[in-house]
Amino acid sequence: MAKQKAGLVLNRYRREPLAQDGRLRAVGVSFLNAQPHLHGLLSGLGEERMQVVLAEPSELARRLYEDEADLGLCPVVPLATHGGFELVPGVAIGCDGPVRSIRIVGDVPITEAKELLLDAASRTSVILARLIVRHLCGGREPRLCARPAREIIETVSGTTLGLLIGDSALSVEGRFAYELDLGQAWKEMTGLPFVFAVWAGRRGVLTEADCELLSRSLALGLEARPQIAQAWTRGHGGDAEAHLTYLTHSIRYGLDERAQAGLAEFLRRAAAARLLPESELRFVGQAAPSIVTPGARPNGQRRSLDALLEYAADGGRLSVEDALWLGREADTHELGLAADMRRKALHPDEVVTYIVDRNVNYTNVCTTSCRFCAFYRPVGHAEGYVLSRDELGKKIEETVAAGGVQILMQGGLNPSLQLEWYEDLFRWIKRTYPIKLHALSPEEIWHLVRLEDLSLQTVLTRLRDAGLDSVPGGGAEVLTDRVRSKIAKAKCTSAEWLEVMRVAHRLGMRTTATMMFGTSDTLVDRVLHMLKIRELQDETGGFTAFICWDYQHDVGTRAVAGETGTVLYLRTQALSRLLIDNVPNIQTSWVTQGPGIGQVGLRYGANDMGSTMFEENVVSAAGTTFGMDAAQIERHARALGFKVARRNMRYELLSEPV
Amino acid sequence: MSRFAQIEEKVRAHERLSFEDGCALFLEPDLLRLGSLANWVREQRHGDRTYFNVNMRFEATNVCEASCSFCAFAKLEEGAPQAHTTTHEAAWQELAEFPDPRLSELHMVNGLHPHLPFEWYEELLRGWKRVRPEVHLKCFTGVEIHFFAAKFGMSYEQVLTRLKAAGLGSLPGGGAEILHPDVRRRISTDKATGAEYLAAHRAAHKLGLPSNCTMLYGHIETFEHRVDHLLQLRALQDETGGFQCFIPLAFHNENNSLRKLPEPTAVDSLRTLAASRLLLDNIAHVKAYWVSMGVATAQLGLRFGADDLDGTIVHESIYHSAGSRVPMALARDELIRLIREAGRIPVERDTTYGVIEELPRAHAPEAALKVRERFAHKRALSVVSSSSS
Repeated sequence: MAKQKAGLVLNRYRREPLAQDGRLRAVGVSFLNAQPHLHGLLSGLGEERMQVVLAEPSELARRLYEDEADLGLCPVVPLATHGGFELVPGVAIGCDGPVRSIRIVGDVPITEAKELLLDAASRTSVILARLIVRHLCGGREPRLCARPAREIIETVSGTTLGLLIGDSALSVEGRFAYELDLGQAWKEMTGLPFVFAVWAGRRGVLTEADCELLSRSLALGLEARPQIAQAWTRGHGGDAEAHLTYLTHSIRYGLDERAQAGLAEFLRRAAAARLLPESELRFVGQAAPSIVTPGARPNGQRRSLDALLEYAADGGRLSVEDALWLGREADTHELGLAADMRRKALHPDEVVTYIVDRNVNYTNVCTTSCRFCAFYRPVGHAEGYVLSRDELGKKIEETVAAGGVQILMQGGLNPSLQLEWYEDLFRWIKRTYPIKLHALSPEEIWHLVRLEDLSLQTVLTRLRDAGLDSVPGGGAEVLTDRVRSKIAKAKCTSAEWLEVMRVAHRLGMRTTATMMFGTSDTLVDRVLHMLKIRELQDETGGFTAFICWDYQHDVGTRAVAGETGTVLYLRTQALSRLLIDNVPNIQTSWVTQGPGIGQVGLRYGANDMGSTMFEENVVSAAGTTFGMDAAQIERHARALGFKVARRNMRYELLSEPV
Repeated sequence: MSRFAQIEEKVRAHERLSFEDGCALFLEPDLLRLGSLANWVREQRHGDRTYFNVNMRFEATNVCEASCSFCAFAKLEEGAPQAHTTTHEAAWQELAEFPDPRLSELHMVNGLHPHLPFEWYEELLRGWKRVRPEVHLKCFTGVEIHFFAAKFGMSYEQVLTRLKAAGLGSLPGGGAEILHPDVRRRISTDKATGAEYLAAHRAAHKLGLPSNCTMLYGHIETFEHRVDHLLQLRALQDETGGFQCFIPLAFHNENNSLRKLPEPTAVDSLRTLAASRLLLDNIAHVKAYWVSMGVATAQLGLRFGADDLDGTIVHESIYHSAGSRVPMALARDELIRLIREAGRIPVERDTTYGVIEELPRAHAPEAALKVRERFAHKRALSVVSSSSS
């Protein structure tokens, strides 16, 4: 997969070569309004110091987070979410009044909207829109649905409005009866400019000279706006005059005091609405933060670890830096206490749930050979199997007889099983047995997409229509590519894993999310993984639960174990309860940790004991074989004073809590 | 002020806790507050130091006259299929051949054998001292001492003096079970009573032999029995100061007469560890015995009051006969790893808690945890206690 090319390394996880020559890695966006910033740099200015690539905004943010870039022209929401970057002073992308490239459009005014379609790729625009909509609609919000931009334009009608950004927004000017320019709406609401993006770098990386370089690049770009508009027309169509007007009148490129005040006000309101964490943003070279939301400094003092724990226990939204601080330095008991308080706030009835189901692994034949897995068998191996209908039927019957309500069915990536095989199987299961089908995983679904050369949407739709009820969150391992490329090189990327869940949620299927840590991951990877789940949940609301566990490696596995252990497991679970503030259920993993620690986990943020799972093959193959039946699960939960109830995959109670 | 808050004030003022306080600890619903307080005491006394040793366990015989209902060896007779009694030669050879030169302790407890003469035991110890004189012999429970005294017509002092002369270094803590007669007469009626157990230890302490003490919990006893047990140990310690370490032992229910009883859960074990640490203000060390509570719970126990993670052991059979599924042994490296993962400093010790080697703690940031400012404890206390009635 990795190719050597004149000193640069290409691999599946990176689409561009990585500079290994000591230059700073800068990322810009390919939108029109970013071009003046990039103009100088793209013409060669400072190329001995920086190399510039372009990317979509969410990819830009990911690269900054995951140390694949040193600086980026970053939208402000990912900056606030992270909390650890330094801003370059003086320059930005913003507006002071109407901006034209962020609009809500539709047939009726927003106050009459029942539904608002959003392009979730721009979190900054989404949060701006939500603040404005709440303000205009008296605190209410219409139903929010994430959609790709193309779809939005086609679907907007009646009481369904749409939020459009960038080129899409510019392209629909004048087409709809109702248009709300969000730059203008923001100005009317606050009297202030709005800042969309700023240059930001990883802490300690940028110098004053770098800031001057970026200023000069912008200065050159501002002078060259007519040329930029022309070039844009050649590349993207549209009217050069209109582009130039946009660049000169709609977009503001400075970051003066008023603009900073506008940015601070946006962050303050978003934090108050719990859409963003409390922020403290610093400029390059400054020790003290300049842009601070009040909650980040309760008494003018830097927020202490105590205060942060309280804030988290109260359900406050954490930034990446916050989570890293807690993960590194909070005392284990106190972290657990905070998670426990949060759990109690979300589940005040003190009920612990569990499900009676069965893990069925329909095949162990797998083309992937992940280094941490002892369950798979390569194609052609003597121990490879595919369950027959008879075997499967028997397992399902046993499950139903024991009171089971679903089967969790997963397997290896077996190239001889086609989409039709799955569809037939699912249809047969659903018409023969009264059972829910919680099946497959993003990896298996991508496998089918590749095998059948169909779109993700099509494959998931067909599986759903054949009877797939929900998708388990397995195969996530740790959702940063630097970890995945080490332990599961042949599996999908983090973005691809998330995309499956995104589409599944939109098709009406709920899913869980998991994390297997303890190979090459560090705290940073684990926190970023949790953040990605939170952000997708903000978009879709489709995750029902989060479960983590550490790498089990007694037998038959090849990946080297890293940070693992009971204490780290409990801390990680507690941190997940605090950081993933929008997923209601946290499951404790007695399957990997044993009944004892599984039980203790109920005081470290978990409110669910997973499944009786009276068959388990995958983790057992690596040597971890704990078993608990329903009676034991109930006893362990009650020993802590909880009531217990059975549930289904959607966490609806199937029995009276006792 | 909540009950727990009152107790916490006492603890932080280094005041002794009462019987009622002890019962309140066992009834405290919030496991983490309890653990946090016990952890504070642990860190006051020992910081992050966590003791372990390289030891081996040996059972000379499992033939036993007594009929303790929780024991898988009860009433075992010589000649029965599972019965086993060693020979001197085999025992001495096993010690001589123990591969790790770091071995510092041999731990021996036995069934109460109806026929072996006292001299047999003396010779056993003497032989061990001949083959590896540096290995400390921690042998014979208080129950065995009483058994020898009763059987051979000696006082505890005489028994212990002779054993000491043969090489005995200290007594292990076993045989305590639950000291309260109401419980004892139901689960281990035909061996030393609670008072006799304590008397044997008193005699040992007076002869300069330190000892450990234990408590078997999670069977038919109540919390009051546990607190009473702990307070009796504390009272003896006030007199003699000879207990080194307290080890809570979880009941296991296979192959014994109590197999219908459920075993204590991890939460119960952690609660018991924490309560023990808080009540036993005069005993230096509390051990999380991984054989008894499972490796993971024991590791977590290092943050619930325990400062000792028992040793390598090599060949454990008592718990394993009762169904324990933990490993038979833990390698020294394993123990060190477990201690480091818990954010503690591994300290290899000898039997009397002399330091053999203090090892560096882990440098991974999360594992090196220190207690920072207390997290709004007062607020947490009032919020949680008011809502968990």
